[in-house]
Amino acid sequence: MEKWRSVLVYSALVAVAALMPGCTTSGKPGVAVQSSQPFGDATNAPVAGGVNVQGGSEEDFIVNVGRRTFFEQSSATLDDTARLTLDKQAQWLLQYPHWKVKLQGFADDPGSAAEQKTLSQKRADAVRAYLASKGVGTDRMKAKGYGRDRLVGDCADIECTSQNRRVITNPQEEPDF
Amino acid sequence: MVAAAASLASSCFREARAATKPSKAALAYFAGQAEDNGVVFRLTNWKKIDSKWRRQLVKYRSREPQGTVVVDTGSHFLYVIFENQTALRYGVGVGRDGFRWFGRARIDRKALWPRWIPPPEMRARQPELPEYMDGGPDNPLGPRALYLFRGGKDLGYRLHGTLEPWSIGSNVSSGCIRMFSEDIIDLYQRCPIGTRVLVLKHLGAPVINEAAPVDAE
Repeated sequence: MEKWRSVLVYSALVAVAALMPGCTTSGKPGVAVQSSQPFGDATNAPVAGGVNVQGGSEEDFIVNVGRRTFFEQSSATLDDTARLTLDKQAQWLLQYPHWKVKLQGFADDPGSAAEQKTLSQKRADAVRAYLASKGVGTDRMKAKGYGRDRLVGDCADIECTSQNRRVITNPQEEPDF
Repeated sequence: MVAAAASLASSCFREARAATKPSKAALAYFAGQAEDNGVVFRLTNWKKIDSKWRRQLVKYRSREPQGTVVVDTGSHFLYVIFENQTALRYGVGVGRDGFRWFGRARIDRKALWPRWIPPPEMRARQPELPEYMDGGPDNPLGPRALYLFRGGKDLGYRLHGTLEPWSIGSNVSSGCIRMFSEDIIDLYQRCPIGTRVLVLKHLGAPVINEAAPVDAE
């Protein structure tokens, strides 16, 4: 397995090196070559179908709908942007009725751990209620708050907190709820 | 400070098309229409677009945290970093050499169907341009704008849409970082206020502030 991997990596390097000079518009080394197709784990290697995304797949949901809903500090209110995302989620779920969703709420807000747990649950509940109002059956959705957990970034700045104050909608075919 | 912002904003747009009806060649790049927040706009004809400029999931190896927007101006890609070493990658058009900015920024403002105020130098060259253009389907910013700030100051750079889908993947004479209308609508939902943005010459390049008037890192 290890040998295969190193052979692949070596081939990739040779292939990219051979294509590099003179293929780019600027001719500068280090600029990504447009015609090479990186593979394996290299940056820009395609994930799943690449450009060919099947309608109704999890990848379709990730690329064309969006899993994340964001919230302002100490708030569980859905703003206009959140509603734009959730409208698309609802539409997708109605179009592909075999999917269920696990709604995971998170917080990174002022207050105690308990308060943040409550807030994160409120956020997940708000998403669930909104999707239900758009026709998604409540038996297809489970909402759970995780409090100040699974931080995307851990700093006091809004750069970190804005990413943490979220609900993630996870489509599941065989839900664990 | 206003003058500085204005001169930076001018580096976003050096030229602009007046709001005239697109040529036949241009119209080939559109297929159908859609409505967004009460505005009807032209949809991109994807058959005319190279698949590498399409929005897609890719592997992405980086130390930047999830949710960060990274722009590789050399390759004309914009990435939103996801978990598990993946990213959602979009094609972009960038300003030509001399009209680009590199460095770290933060999205401190977002707008739907943004209005546009053409800078004075542009209006001097193109007197037919209005002082002010309402948001709408003939506005070159397109359906959304994400405004880049640093240290609380507007850098004058934006991520926005385009009226010219054929310009995605190239160095255009005007514009900041432009995306297909469908893509800037999509990106808008993924970037809350406070989103970190990195604009690079190319992936792996050091993060440098070449033109920003605020304190360098």
